[in-house]
Amino acid sequence: MAVTRKPVLPRVGHFASFGAPGVLVYLCFVLAPILISFGYSLTNYNPFDPPVRFTGLANYRLLFSDEQFLTALRITTILTLIVVIVPNVLGLGVALLLDRKGWLYNALRSVFFTPVILSSVVVSIIWSRLLDDEGPLNTLLRALGVEHPPGWLSDPDLALYSVASIVCWQLLGFCVVVYLAGLQGVPAELLEAAEIDGAGPLRRFRAVTWPLLAPSLTITTVVLLISAFKTYDYVKVITNGGPGSGATATIAFDVLQTGFDANHVGYASAMAVLMLVIVAVVTSVVLNFLRRREVDL
Amino acid sequence: MTRPAVALLVSAVFFVPLYLVLANVFKQGDLIAKDPAALPLPPTLANVHAVLTRPDGLFWVSLTNSVVVTLSSILVLTVLSAMLGHYLARSGKRWTKVLTLVLLAGLMIPPQVILIPITDVLRVTHLMATLPGLILFNVGYYVPFGVFVFSGFIRGVPVELEEAARLDGASRLQVFWRVVFPLLRPATASVLIFLGVWIWNDFIDPLIILGPSQGTTITTGIYRSIGQYQADLGSVFALMFLATLPVLIFYLALQKQFVKGLTGGATKG
Repeated sequence: MAVTRKPVLPRVGHFASFGAPGVLVYLCFVLAPILISFGYSLTNYNPFDPPVRFTGLANYRLLFSDEQFLTALRITTILTLIVVIVPNVLGLGVALLLDRKGWLYNALRSVFFTPVILSSVVVSIIWSRLLDDEGPLNTLLRALGVEHPPGWLSDPDLALYSVASIVCWQLLGFCVVVYLAGLQGVPAELLEAAEIDGAGPLRRFRAVTWPLLAPSLTITTVVLLISAFKTYDYVKVITNGGPGSGATATIAFDVLQTGFDANHVGYASAMAVLMLVIVAVVTSVVLNFLRRREVDL
Repeated sequence: MTRPAVALLVSAVFFVPLYLVLANVFKQGDLIAKDPAALPLPPTLANVHAVLTRPDGLFWVSLTNSVVVTLSSILVLTVLSAMLGHYLARSGKRWTKVLTLVLLAGLMIPPQVILIPITDVLRVTHLMATLPGLILFNVGYYVPFGVFVFSGFIRGVPVELEEAARLDGASRLQVFWRVVFPLLRPATASVLIFLGVWIWNDFIDPLIILGPSQGTTITTGIYRSIGQYQADLGSVFALMFLATLPVLIFYLALQKQFVKGLTGGATKG
């Protein structure tokens, strides 16, 4: 076999015809831009304020004393924690609730999944109408006797949590579907055996179901984590970074605001590079931890 | 048991925002602001009609752009990532492992990190503010996802099949397109569905790459129409509804594939 394999699948030209086109586009539109970003981050580049000077790590040093950036970092952290935890918990709950056969449960699964296929712009507009100070929710609250209903999106202390809830609403269906698929992989015999051994529903869940859902948890967590870091659309459409001075401005929002609206390309690039490092480190740490948990089963 | 009742109640609460859109698409403009939660009685197609017949043709122009960008991107992406996935799965060289890692890292790169230099790359190549520029960007940015799906799937296809076809005198490309690719249908479906929905719904990339004045896709069109036509909520709701309709039909038609693709990784583990 080893003798015949070489002439049958010779390697010469394999990369040129099969690999190169994909690698080339990836190189031009992802890898090269990352390197360029890193290059920009070491300069004071601003297309409307030449000349460009090499400034070394000055941009990075500045970032750590920049109140606005530190706020964005804090906002992104809070948002990420909420977006990773809430859809996971609620998604598992809804999946357990809908884990039955029948048309009703099938139909309800579709209800939860619909937001996943909506554009974040559409979701943002729907919710900003719903949560408007004079919107349906507050009208309802007033009718129920609440004299001063909260300014869901206009109160700087509340807006971030409203935006986070909206992101959770859109991503919930994704978790539901992944957990439902995971639940189908839990062998019924195992649950029956545990029941015969006298384990109650809670015990059965903790000892049998939950450990077997480890791969589902890995998938949802990593996807939620990456989606949360990227949060831009919602912030742009719903609050445009506000209310007030950046109450909902995530790093992703700050990068584009600084780079395109304020034209501080060098500084924005430093922010972008730092963001990439944070995403890479956090994602690999979490992924490693979750993978090890799967193996330990 | 109370399970159906609880399930219905939870779903109903979750469904409220979606109801808001559906009800207001078919409601008279002035009633939307006055009573957004009411049923659309009597229902009207005036909003949909207004969007379809706008004098500036916003809907049709952005629909065309979205269709062109989405279809071209997913077709090119399928071809390139299936072939690259095949190379990575079949070539035993050590550097393909490194290449695979570099590509997988691309799955987590936030677009914001590369958008600023991308605009420079596109400006130099005269592709800034053009549809081909946006399509090329999509291909580069989403190639890791395609490769991820395809290479995993190709590992499950017996290599003996390819060797047999090669011995029969077929070229490598013929073997791939005639023998291997038809076997990859589930992977192809996942890639087409996911990337189709993501690219159709994409907001930030068309917003920046197509630029403020040059072109509009369906999502950036919605975004601009809320700014310009704040008062005309009926049109905004109708535009959102019409923009979602193609994805919704696409999803309902391929629902089984969709969920299978989404959960493939979760159940394999």
